[in-house]
Amino acid sequence: MRAITAELSKLFSLLSVWVALAIGMIVPTAIAALNSVSTRKEIALGDHTAVGIDMGYQELAFGVIGAIIIGVVAISHEYFAESGESGGGRQITTSLIAIPSRLRFLFAKATAVAMVSAVLASAAAIATMAAIRIVLGDHAPEIGSEDVPRLAGIVCYWVLTALLAFGITVLTRHGIVPLAILIVNTSVVTVTYLLTRLTSLAYYFPDMAGIRMFIRNLEDSTVEIAPLVGGLVMTAWVAALLIIAAIVFCRRDA
Amino acid sequence: MSAEVARPHSREFVQALAAELSKLWSLPAVWLTLGGSLILNLVLAAAFVSAGLQDLTGTPNALDIGLASISYIQAGYIVLGIVASCSEYTGGQIRTTLTAMPRRSLQLIAAHLALTIVVVPAALITATSGVLLAAIALGDASAPVELGSTVGILAGVTGYLGLTTLISASFGVLLRRTLPAAIVVLGYTFIAGPILREQTTQAKYLPDTAGLAMWFPQPGDASALSPVHGATVLVAWTLGAFVVALAVYRKRDT
Repeated sequence: MRAITAELSKLFSLLSVWVALAIGMIVPTAIAALNSVSTRKEIALGDHTAVGIDMGYQELAFGVIGAIIIGVVAISHEYFAESGESGGGRQITTSLIAIPSRLRFLFAKATAVAMVSAVLASAAAIATMAAIRIVLGDHAPEIGSEDVPRLAGIVCYWVLTALLAFGITVLTRHGIVPLAILIVNTSVVTVTYLLTRLTSLAYYFPDMAGIRMFIRNLEDSTVEIAPLVGGLVMTAWVAALLIIAAIVFCRRDA
Repeated sequence: MSAEVARPHSREFVQALAAELSKLWSLPAVWLTLGGSLILNLVLAAAFVSAGLQDLTGTPNALDIGLASISYIQAGYIVLGIVASCSEYTGGQIRTTLTAMPRRSLQLIAAHLALTIVVVPAALITATSGVLLAAIALGDASAPVELGSTVGILAGVTGYLGLTTLISASFGVLLRRTLPAAIVVLGYTFIAGPILREQTTQAKYLPDTAGLAMWFPQPGDASALSPVHGATVLVAWTLGAFVVALAVYRKRDT
């Protein structure tokens, strides 16, 4: 428990984490507000079908970039070397002196990442849905008890993506490669989505499977995956990656 | 001591350029990002070709398909520009650099020029390899492609990648740390840019959309910028970013 507190304290001392929290909140809320404004115009023109089933949820899929940054910097900052005249030290050596058990250290860090991402995802989901309701008023999609699993799906998706970024960065020990790959794959047309044009196996990539937890109407999808199955597929990917990361991390020199 | 003054500016600049080229040459990250981008580009191009052959709705065009991957591969060039600038600040390289080349404007111009010299051939090779791969793989299935327009569009892609690298390098100089700079530039290019492009027509003057006009003409859209116009706008953005970076660089300590 103290290890988790320590990891949380380290996370919140990083400027990048605060930037990530701001991005995670602002990106989905702002896009949802902009999209709602154009939807309101269409409704005013008489198009009552303008409110899509995935309104809000699609925007939240972009906000996951905040969770990605948290997962990446949580581990990459440990390997950042100070300049020569401050001793060229790295945080990781201090961290491992404080928590000599590598597994415990990694577990505490992953838990801290998951907790922060879960809180961020919940706050972002509330802010995004509120923004849509404020702009659209009565035309906003109703949110009832049947939406709870979808909103929980958002939180799971963000947490699992943060852990995915975390696991990759444990392996690379530098943030730039996982950050570049994962941000590119969060863009409007993702690489994994393009690969689904090639083979339907690509629907089982972690991100493509994970978005099934909350996206209901995936554009020209040829494979239907139930939300729960999608979540399990993504969890399996992340679990496998974290196990590999743990083995590598326990066996190599810091 | 008067003999020290004898070095003319032109000679000083040539020496600074040689020094900057030698630094880039010795940076493994430069070779890794350029090589990685080239390989990933070929893999993605192969995927696009295969998807293009399956698509029965239209005749595939070797030029369009071969260049479709560039909008993802630009991430490699963004990372390259940032790494080239920020490598000065990991450790104490920047102090050595400024001791050897105290004139900061001259040093920064030399650094950007050296980056251009490295990036332009690499970008041309990457773009051409994708188009060649598509042309060979499609063979007779490709719609006829004129040589003149191919050369123009390849020049546009090369210019676009080069200018994007220079803008990224300016952001690297401004922020001095690799990950924050990467978050800003990649986040803009892959998430904010495409979303703004859909929201407002004014977005055509933003760097990414203006740059897109250089190699991805939209004949159906009368309000879109012409390639030359787009190139002008992107050059203006690059110069603007450079001037801001230079002003900040001259004012601060290191």
